[in-house]
Order: sequence, then C-alpha cells, then structure tokens
Amino acid sequence: MSRSPERARWRGWFAARFDAMLRRARSDPDGVVRIGARQIYILPTRFGLVFGAVLLVMLLGSLNYQNNLGLLFTFFLAAVALLAMHHAWFNLLGLELQARPGAAVFAGEPARFTLSVRGRGRRARADLRLSGAEDAAAPLAVPGDEQRGCALAVTTRRRGWQPLGEVRVETCHPLGLFRAWCHTLPQAATLVYPAPAQRAPPPLGTGAGARAQPLGTGGGVEDYVGARDYRHGDSPRHLDWKAYARERGLLTKQFEGEQGRELWIEWAALATADPEARLTELARQLLDAAAAGARFGLRLPGVEEPLAAGEAQLQRCLTRLALFGQEGGDDH
Amino acid sequence: MTIERAHWPEPVPDRLQQLWLTLVVIAGAVPLLSWLDWRIAVLVVALFALRLVALRWHGAQPGRWLLVLLTLAAVANCLYVYGNLSGRQGGAALFLSMLALKLLELRARRDLQLVAILLGFLVVVQFLFDQSLGLALYLALVIGGMLALLADLNGAAGGGRLRPALTTTTRLALQALPLTLVLFLLFPRLSAPLWDLGLDAEQARTGFSDTMEPGAVSELVVNGELAFRVRFYATPPPPEQRYWRGLVLWQTDGRRWTVGEPPQGGPVSLALAAAADRLDYEVVLEPTDRRWLFALDLPVAAEGAAFAPDHLLRARRAVESALRYRVRSALDYRTSPPSAALRDYALRLPAATITPRMRALVASWRGEGADDQAVVRRALAHFNREAFHYTLLPPPLGPNPVDAFLFETRRGFCEHYASSFATLMRLAGIPSRVVLGYLGSEPNAIGGYHMVWQSDAHAWVEVLLPGRGWVRVDPTAAVDPSRIDNQSASRLLGAGNPVRFELTQGAWLAQLARGARQFADSIDAAWQDWVLDFSAEDQLGLLQRLGLGRLGEYGLAVLMVATFSLTLGAVLLGLVRAPRVSDPLVSRHARFCRRLARIGLAPHPGEGPQDHGRRVIAARPDLAAPVSRFLALYLPARFGPAPDPRAVVRLDALLRGFRPRRRR
Repeated sequence: MSRSPERARWRGWFAARFDAMLRRARSDPDGVVRIGARQIYILPTRFGLVFGAVLLVMLLGSLNYQNNLGLLFTFFLAAVALLAMHHAWFNLLGLELQARPGAAVFAGEPARFTLSVRGRGRRARADLRLSGAEDAAAPLAVPGDEQRGCALAVTTRRRGWQPLGEVRVETCHPLGLFRAWCHTLPQAATLVYPAPAQRAPPPLGTGAGARAQPLGTGGGVEDYVGARDYRHGDSPRHLDWKAYARERGLLTKQFEGEQGRELWIEWAALATADPEARLTELARQLLDAAAAGARFGLRLPGVEEPLAAGEAQLQRCLTRLALFGQEGGDDH
Repeated sequence: MTIERAHWPEPVPDRLQQLWLTLVVIAGAVPLLSWLDWRIAVLVVALFALRLVALRWHGAQPGRWLLVLLTLAAVANCLYVYGNLSGRQGGAALFLSMLALKLLELRARRDLQLVAILLGFLVVVQFLFDQSLGLALYLALVIGGMLALLADLNGAAGGGRLRPALTTTTRLALQALPLTLVLFLLFPRLSAPLWDLGLDAEQARTGFSDTMEPGAVSELVVNGELAFRVRFYATPPPPEQRYWRGLVLWQTDGRRWTVGEPPQGGPVSLALAAAADRLDYEVVLEPTDRRWLFALDLPVAAEGAAFAPDHLLRARRAVESALRYRVRSALDYRTSPPSAALRDYALRLPAATITPRMRALVASWRGEGADDQAVVRRALAHFNREAFHYTLLPPPLGPNPVDAFLFETRRGFCEHYASSFATLMRLAGIPSRVVLGYLGSEPNAIGGYHMVWQSDAHAWVEVLLPGRGWVRVDPTAAVDPSRIDNQSASRLLGAGNPVRFELTQGAWLAQLARGARQFADSIDAAWQDWVLDFSAEDQLGLLQRLGLGRLGEYGLAVLMVATFSLTLGAVLLGLVRAPRVSDPLVSRHARFCRRLARIGLAPHPGEGPQDHGRRVIAARPDLAAPVSRFLALYLPARFGPAPDPRAVVRLDALLRGFRPRRRR
C-alpha cells in the first residue's frame, strides 16, 4: 500500500512522457488544422484482432490440407483487411479542421465549439468521429469537396479564455477492422465569464441625491410592468414562478421603478478578500443591474467601463471581469 | 495524466442488419447442409427459421435458458449423428450448429461482427468438401455480402443504406484482387501436411469397387460423373485401343469376381517380352477414395504413381482429392510368361456352377483339335453368331448367372460377357482373368484433352496364350452391332451416353448436349489445372522460368514480398491520385497567387492566405483594395460555415481585373 503513491507518480510520469511524444496536428496561421501523413496513428480494433486470428487459423488449415481454394479466400480476406487499413489512413489524410468558439458562457457552464471538417479532393470521407476530452460528436460523413460541421462542448471551471484543447479525430472506416486517429489542436477559445455569485451587496447608486438603495430587494415595492424571457443571471427572486408552473417557460418579471437609474459597480466598493470571489460578486451585480434595466458602469483597478445600458454593455463589462488581471487577455 | 476520453456508445444493430446477416449466413450454409446428415440439417434449418421468426416477432426470441438448452441439444445431436466432433463432418456440423445458435443472440454490433468473420471460416471449411468453380463463385458472393454488412455496420457512409456499403465493398474487392493473385501465386506452400487431424473423407464416392458381379458395372454406367481427364502428349490412340486398366480380378465363385490372392511370389515382375507403340500422357483422376489408378493398356512407366502386380498402377494413399500422374504406356506389348502357380490359379473354377451344357459348349470348340487361339476365336464367334444382346437392362438371372446368361437370357452388359467368357476359357483350360476399367474417351476440343466418364466403365478379359503372354479379349465387342440396345442406353444416359453406343437417332440434340458438356468440363479442367492443383512444385517451376530457381523457397518468399509491395504500391497510388480533383475555390486562389508571384509576392511555404495577404498589402499598399476584397470573398467561401454558392463567379470577376505590375 505504501508503494501506491510512488507507483501513481511513476505512472503519471510515463503518461506525461508518452503524451509529450505523441505527434499532434497543429493549426496553420489561418486557423486550419491539416492532418498530415505523419500525424496519423493506426491500430487494429478488437474486432480486427479477432479477424486476424481467424484468418491465421484459416491460413494454417488451408496450407496444411493443401486446399488452394481455402488459401485463395484467405488471401482475399487478408488483402481486403490490409487495404482497409490503408483506406482508414487515407480517410484521415488531408482532412482540414477548423474550430469556431460559440458564445461566451459563465464558468461552470459548458462552452460550445463548432468544428467544421472538409476533405481535400473529391474523395468522400466516412465515419469521422471527433471527440474532445469530455465530449464526442456523432460520426460524420463528408462528401468530397464539401464541408460538414459538428459541435463539441467543454466544461468550464475558471473565467478567462477557455481553449478547445485537443480534439481527436478517429475513424474505423471502412470495415471497422482498424482504427486510425489523429490528435489535433485546433485554435479556438471561448470567453468564460466569472460565475455570478448567489448574492452580492447592492452597488451604490449615483445621480442627484440618490441614496444607497438595495436593488431587487423589494418584493412588490415597485410597479410590476410585465415579463420578458429569462436571461442567464436574472435574479431568481424576479422569476415568474406562476407562469413557469403553467408551463409558459421561464420568465422574468420587470419592475418600473428600477429603470433609468445609474449605478457604478466598483471593485473598491466590495470588501471580499479573495479577488476571484469579488469578481463573482461583481458579475452578480452587473447581471442584476442589467436585469433591472439600469444604466451602469464598471470600475476595476486600472480599468473603467463608462456608464451605459443594455445587453452590449453587460457583455463588455463581463468581458472586463473575465479577462481582469490575465496577461495578454486583451489581444483576443 | 490520463485523459478520460469520451466514448461513443456501441451502436445497436438494427433489424435490417440482423436480417442481412441471417440471410448471408443461410446462403453460406446451404451447400454445407447438403453434405451433412439430414438430422443436422433439420436442426440448423429449424434454428434459422426461429431466427427469422424472431426478427419479425420479438416475442419468439428465445431466452437465455432456452439458448443453453438448444446449445446442449445441438452438441448432443452432432455427437449422436457422427460419434465425434473432430472429424471433417462432425466438426463442420458442430461449427455450423453453433453459428446458427449464435445468430439467435445478436445483441450488440460485435455479435454481428463475430458471426460475420466466423462465416468466413465456414466458407473455407466447405472447400474441404467440394472445390468446384461454381461453389467458389457462389461463396465469393456470400463473402461479398458479408463484407458489405461489415461496411454497413461501420456506418456513417452517408447517402442511403445499401448503396454506400456495396460501393465500398466493390472498391475494396476490386483493389484486393491483384494482391490476392500475387499471394496465391507466390505464398510458399507446404509440400506435405504438417499434421493430420484425421479429416478423412467419410462420404461415399462413385467409382469401382474391387468386386464384380452382374449389375455392378451397369450401375456405374448410369452415373453421369467424370472419372478422369487425360492429356495426351502426342497423337491419341484410336478409340478401339483406349482400354484403361484399373483392376484385375482372379477369383470367382460363379457369381462374383474378386481380386483373390494370386500367388504372385517374389518381387513384382514388370518385365515385358516386347513393347512398342509407346505413348506418354497425363491423367487427372477425380477423387475415388481408393488407391487404384487407371492407365492405358499397358503402362510401362509412371510418375506420381507406383506399380502393383499385374501391371497395375497404385496411388501411395487413397485418392481423396484430384490426383495428377503421368504414365507411359505401350499399346503393343507381350508380357513375360507367369509362374506355374499363377497359371494354375487362373484356371480355378467353382465346380458347383459348371453345368453339363457349358462343358458341351466348350468341348465343341475344343473338339476339332483347335489350339488355344482358335478356341478364343470360336468363342468370340459364338457370341457374335448367337442371339446375344447388349443391354443395360438385362433380365434377372437365377442362382447360376453364367449358365442362365449363356443359354437362356442372352441379354447382358459387359460384366455378363466378361464373366461368362472368362469362365468358359478356364473351362477350356485357358488361364483367364477379368479386368475392370474404362473403355474409350471423349475428346474435348475446347480444352485439348480427353474426358473419361463413369459411364465408360467396362469389364473385359485377359487370357494367357502360349508364346504371347496375357492377351486382351473383349467379348462385349464381339456382339453383333445390330443387337446393341440403343434405346435403353439413351433413355438411361442421355447426353452421358458412352461413345461406344454410337447414337444416331436425335444425333444433333445429343451432339449439342455433348458440346455443352465439353465446354463445361473444359472450364472445370482449367479450374483444376490452374487453381486447385497449383502446388509448391508449380511455384518452383515459375521461379525457374524467372531464372531464380537456385534460390528455392527463400527466393519465393523474397519474390512474394517484392511483388506484393509493388502491387500494393500501385493500388495505393491509384487510391491517392484518382480522387484528387481540384476544388474550384482552390484553383481561383492558385491563380491569385500566380498573379502575385509575377511581382515577386508568391506565398511562402506554410504561409496561410491571411498572412500572405497581410504581407502583400504591407509591401504594396496600392494593392490593398483588390487583395483584401479577394480574401474577404475567398476565406469565408472556403472555410466558412455556409459557403456562398456564387463565390466562384464573383472571384472570377475579381480576378479578371486583377493584374498587378511591378513598380518601376
């Protein structure tokens, strides 16, 4: 038992060495991954091994009994298997893969990437299986000179840029005897906002004679003006539960009194020690402010987003939060 | 760091795939069923029926316990029928039963894949039973169906169900053919089996038995199968000389003739006092499960066969698959005189079956003081003069068949004539023996060889004449041609009529049928020559013709690897090059790059279009507008999610005006 952590470390070391030795197809400057001959791996599947074993028995039997017809059929099946191996290899060779990120998400939500696959030349590609570390797409068939797409999801944990990471493209075409695969590294990253905190202290209102007034606390204090579709980050307190119970979907109630106010959401105004936790609270404040229809601005150390209202302002501010303190973040 | 990979759930095979597999397995099992016992066939067919019913109504799918019971029942059935599970038939029966049972348990894709590959094994097993061209073609189709199923199981070919699977399979099969041919020609063969599982032939074959009694040969004559093929190296002998000796019978009990135990004594004497008219030929004998071989009267030398007493040829072991041997025969020969003991043995007669009228007949021939040769001549004249009929449908004979045939029915086939003639000769004091074999041969103009059919089976007599040794006498040939019963022969034999019946009625139809038979047989013979009999010996011959004979098996292996690699390379080259057809967008981009290359701004190797564009604009700001417009059209059209179908037309329009010049 005492050796097990030691062994795990060794195994980890070997896995890392092995991983480092694997050849990967990387993106070109124009963001396209082209699968080249040297990056394709190929091994027989379990079915392929059984097939080979049966062929071996057939070969020995036919040789022993000098049965030429048996040999003829055995050789035919062996030739078919060998060609199947090459077909599997050619099925990947020259594939072009391009990944595009989906919309930004909050940490903890799956980030979606769209991958488009096209084969060079008129050769049709069949049974292409794309998989990421956590997600696998349904097998694709790409007719010659055409393009097909599929989606892969990646679970996000931290704010910032979430890269797609390694995508494995594999195929068992044409008979399932061999599996050819390629590790590709398409360049694509989705922006991940900090996950909004459950609750946050209200931000300070601004404007003439405005008092600090908690936002979204008044159950029925303001005048109810209507409901709109639920957006991520809306306060659960404003959800129209009755409508939900009547299966009309998730709606958020809107209140008159919150509109037209001006709010500054400030890093300095919060007291939470952990900067990441503070960012999650800021995210919550931003969402609440946007949900309330207020004009709001964001002040982070060294960064300021001026006052504005609406969805675009929310995205801008959340992006600031997502990339806050991350080097090179603004390049994207 | 181990990455937990996402995995695809194994697809559940659908009903079409299950039905497909079932039908392919049934198609592949049908020939085998015909060689197995009916009790095996009944069980297997029942299992197939159950499979088909369960595909339609899921309720009929047997549960786990029923499957276990069925498995036990199938094993017990095989054991009960064959007594073992390792013989050729027992093993094949067990394998087929298990395969049929496995069909009832198709849960996941791998079950289907397993059954499919076992079907390949089943196909090869059948070649232990039969290796005809027709069966091979049929089973090739079965294999094709099996590969198509595998392609379909792998799925995702797009565009319908059956078409892509069949297209994939056809392409694979066509590409595999040259490789198969190379392997078949050059893969080193064993010249002798490494082990013997005792897969002996257990089925009855048609052909001679080593005894002769009334009706034995005529039974064979109605059989339409081929006995052997002959390829004469020179001019074939005239038809009346084509007596193919197989067996010599010495002993009779008045009804049956058997080999007996002739006192040969000492080493086999093959000495011939004289031999002329030598003739070389090659025989390919169909399987007989016996050791005796057939050679033209009289073989003097043989290759691939051994000599036995009485100038007979014997195989080294029972002929279970087609056997090829070469013989030299002398058509004109004189054997050396046998020992006195053998001479006496050839005179023994069962006293009980000799009747007074037989004695009287022989005495009448001998009485005029004739020598042995004159007696033979008179006996033949007797068969010719008296009302002897030659018929395949002789009337039943009593307890003394020779006497009844000679004096009462006078209707019979060659065995009647041979038997009674030999008996009469012995009665006259002339040593005699009966010879079994074939008479005649049918030339196959298409294949350039001769065919000898089971219907050519014949029996004749050899008598020992002083100074001449054993002399062939065919009493059947003495029968007056007007008394040959053509009717029964043609009714029984149809196109398989022995040549010696010389049919005249309905001749054109018979000729047509005969021509068709010749054509079919020439294909079979080519199949036999080029595929089934291809051996280690032929491979070495091939090497020698290439001048590599010295290298032996190693040379063969090297040649195989080299040829195989070259063929594979050629096939793969076709695979790479054929489908590469230019993308219209790519060709526009190439034209764009060529134009830029004229002013020294060709893309660097590995440079993407975007970087290239940026570099061009940096170098030539005056070209910024057309270059960025081209890329703005080209990039989304080529890599974008929804390519603009009119992009090519618009790119063409752009390229027409795009002719950058060098700056002075």
